[in-house]
Amino acid sequence: MTRLEFIARLRAGLSGMPDAARAEIVADYDAHFSEAAAAGRSETDVAAALGDPDRLARELRAEAGLKRWESERNPQAAAAAVFAVLGLGAIDVLFLLPILVGVVSVLCAFVIVSIVLFVAGAIVLAVSPFGHSVAMVGASLLGGLGMMASAVSAGAVLTLISIGLVNVLVWYGRLHYQLLKPAIDPRPSAPAELALS
Amino acid sequence: MPEAVDIQLKKGALDLCVLALLSRADSYAYEIASRLAEAIGMGEGTIYPLMRRMQSDGLVETYLVESSAGPSRKYYRLTEAGKRSLAAQKDAWRSFAGAMQSILGEEA
Repeated sequence: MTRLEFIARLRAGLSGMPDAARAEIVADYDAHFSEAAAAGRSETDVAAALGDPDRLARELRAEAGLKRWESERNPQAAAAAVFAVLGLGAIDVLFLLPILVGVVSVLCAFVIVSIVLFVAGAIVLAVSPFGHSVAMVGASLLGGLGMMASAVSAGAVLTLISIGLVNVLVWYGRLHYQLLKPAIDPRPSAPAELALS
Repeated sequence: MPEAVDIQLKKGALDLCVLALLSRADSYAYEIASRLAEAIGMGEGTIYPLMRRMQSDGLVETYLVESSAGPSRKYYRLTEAGKRSLAAQKDAWRSFAGAMQSILGEEA
């Protein structure tokens, strides 16, 4: 692969990242080629040593998504992190997809149940003053409050579970970096990647 | 698996290596990569994500130096946080290495 080809593929792969970050990354690798050329190395050698630019771009983008989740814990960042990991396109990440869909569906079901429970509790509470006896009023008052409180605590637990799940996914995604993780192994990790793609 | 242990050790020490190199003199990515490739066999493409991460963690900062030939070079230097991190990691490394030495020494 020539220098131009490597840079073009890297640049194309980084589309979607903020322009400044993209320009900076491309400039770093471009400078690397210049330094290597000054040291008398061939473009092909340098490109081979740097690894597959498509893979590199995917991992850099994934890392940006995961970083965002670590700095801002909100649903958008969580979604971005999940898509970042899936975007790695590693085979065993894709195996994870059905499990992920299952888990997310179950979580959604629990969230809906909590919301329904909360609304039902609010209704029971609202009608409590119209009870026929003092006992009835007291029972529905306490019952309504109890339903709402359990819905809120269920919501809190579900939130914690979701955050934990995203964190596990982020950890799992990082395990699948081939170029970003400090690659001490002198053999480039390219062969396995080529076999997959 | 002696190679696997070797690789794991070097990976763990990469950050410390870069901090130590920069504590001696400011440097640019190609030079750091070449030094580390030679010294511990680091893959040269590894340096850029590593430097980006260290920069976003505030351990290093960059400045441009005009070069007589070609475009200006991006140099890295340690920040105060980077110097503190280096000191802490050095201590941790020395006490770990000392502990390993005494364990390995007893066995030999």
